[in-house]
Amino acid sequence: MIDLTNLTIEKAKQALKNKEYSAIELTKAYLDKIKEQDKEIKSYLAITEDLALAQAVKADRMIANHEEKALTGIPCAIKDNIMIKGEKCTAGSKFLENYIAPYDATVIEKLKEQGAIILGKTNLDEFAMGSSCENSAFFPTKNPNDLERVPGGSSGGSAAAVAADLCVFALGSDTGGSIREPASFCGISGIKPTYGTVSRYGLIAYASSLDQIGPLAKNTEDCQIVFEAIRGKDKYDSTSLEQVSKNCEFDIKKLKIGVPKEYFGQGLDPVIKKAVNQAIDFYKQNGAEIIEINLPYTDYALACYYIIAPAEASANLARFDGIRYSEIVEGDKSNNLIQTYLQNRTAGFGKEVKKRIMLGTYTLSAGYYDAYYKKALKVRTLIKKDFEEAFKKVDVILGPTSPLLPFKIGEKTHDPLAMYLADIYTVSLNLAGLPGMSIPCGYEGRLPIGLQIIAPSFEENIIFETANFLQKKYDI
Amino acid sequence: MDSNKIDVKKIASLAYLTIAEDELKNFEEQFSSILAYVDKLKELEISEIKETSNITQAENVFREDKETIFNNEDLLSLLPHKKNNYLEVKKILNNND
Repeated sequence: MIDLTNLTIEKAKQALKNKEYSAIELTKAYLDKIKEQDKEIKSYLAITEDLALAQAVKADRMIANHEEKALTGIPCAIKDNIMIKGEKCTAGSKFLENYIAPYDATVIEKLKEQGAIILGKTNLDEFAMGSSCENSAFFPTKNPNDLERVPGGSSGGSAAAVAADLCVFALGSDTGGSIREPASFCGISGIKPTYGTVSRYGLIAYASSLDQIGPLAKNTEDCQIVFEAIRGKDKYDSTSLEQVSKNCEFDIKKLKIGVPKEYFGQGLDPVIKKAVNQAIDFYKQNGAEIIEINLPYTDYALACYYIIAPAEASANLARFDGIRYSEIVEGDKSNNLIQTYLQNRTAGFGKEVKKRIMLGTYTLSAGYYDAYYKKALKVRTLIKKDFEEAFKKVDVILGPTSPLLPFKIGEKTHDPLAMYLADIYTVSLNLAGLPGMSIPCGYEGRLPIGLQIIAPSFEENIIFETANFLQKKYDI
Repeated sequence: MDSNKIDVKKIASLAYLTIAEDELKNFEEQFSSILAYVDKLKELEISEIKETSNITQAENVFREDKETIFNNEDLLSLLPHKKNNYLEVKKILNNND
């Protein structure tokens, strides 16, 4: 029996190298574990067994030929809004229930080339719209730490699969917190890289100016390994950039940590406040300088996000008409094209998606564009400036990832605004394009608490170093 | 807030969606509470601020003028209705249009 408990990339690589087990054996161990244990957690929407075994054969050959790369033979899970050629890609929606991806996303091409093993596709809120995984059109995923609670969202399936040892690492996407919040809720590490560092080609779009793919993993080092493997400019994504993450010579005694007082105000669970402050104190005790900073427009970020994201979504999701991707309503009896659209879109989209499409349609419609959309774009400039000012004084910014502990399944489904508030500390980074990571910094009973580490654009390395310092030395 | 009462039916039709009669009220309520929340942006006097729509500020990104060849079979197999390998859709123009 291979022990999959808390298996990291480094440990698995060593074991594969030392021939303790083969990639095929490791893959089979995960597939068996998923079949046995995922019935309860429901993190996967589909298992890609054939693909996994084929990649495992390739990985074993690469290892035998001493051609292994950073992720050769490492089993992983992919959020089901990222396309894998020949596999279903549903985006958690009935609309794409039978859609088979005709090409690989760039990140998938990179993983395949590395010899990584793709075990399956993970659950998500429909079209990545949600903070709890409850908006999946198929079923909710459960938090492995407490099965009555949500795993966070929208990359909830990816986070739960990592936390439950049903893969070594996973890919997710983050538009307003969708990697960081579930990482926080499940007690794992997850990073949203700088906008543009990872290609979005093959990611089913939610809000294109905010979406970014990133890793969820058991620790910071694994996140860094995966990030390095998937990053880079891509000719198929015109917003992708070749910028290399700045090197950083990390010295805790020279580290200037900004703590924004806006991130510790009303609405923050006192238990989270305490755990995050304790982690910040730990940095201080080790010589880091703690500087109180202001991000004055924080209070407007969520409002800004809930104008910009639905506006972009309403345009991105206009392509779903039920004619090109798969059939939605069987035996269409309507007598004109508009009727067909109406019928398909009404049957295919879930309630939250409809709501966001309509919100976006409203804020972009004649007479409201200036008051909402244009204004939000201006506020976005202010939010970006807030961070630019702050980073003149500090190297990194620390705060809570989420104001809430993982909540109970069904607890917030009737109050969308309460659900949206879960993203209050994460959305600003997407608006400003900045990298941010969530790592565990404490527990309340069984429920994990996440610390968010924010850095200037392209300075993922200082995030990794700062996160690593806590993960290696701080006992939670 | 009355100013935030939006015509759900009208917006739905603009978005090619139909909202059932018994759901209208719920949509209306949720929209008003979200709009009341995002209305806080109106507090800000920001007429002089420039807009940010593209965070990377990249302009005119070009790539080689070379076609990408997809396997037609893969793409066509996704179409729910086709005739002689063409996508089949409903008539858009009527005789009396």
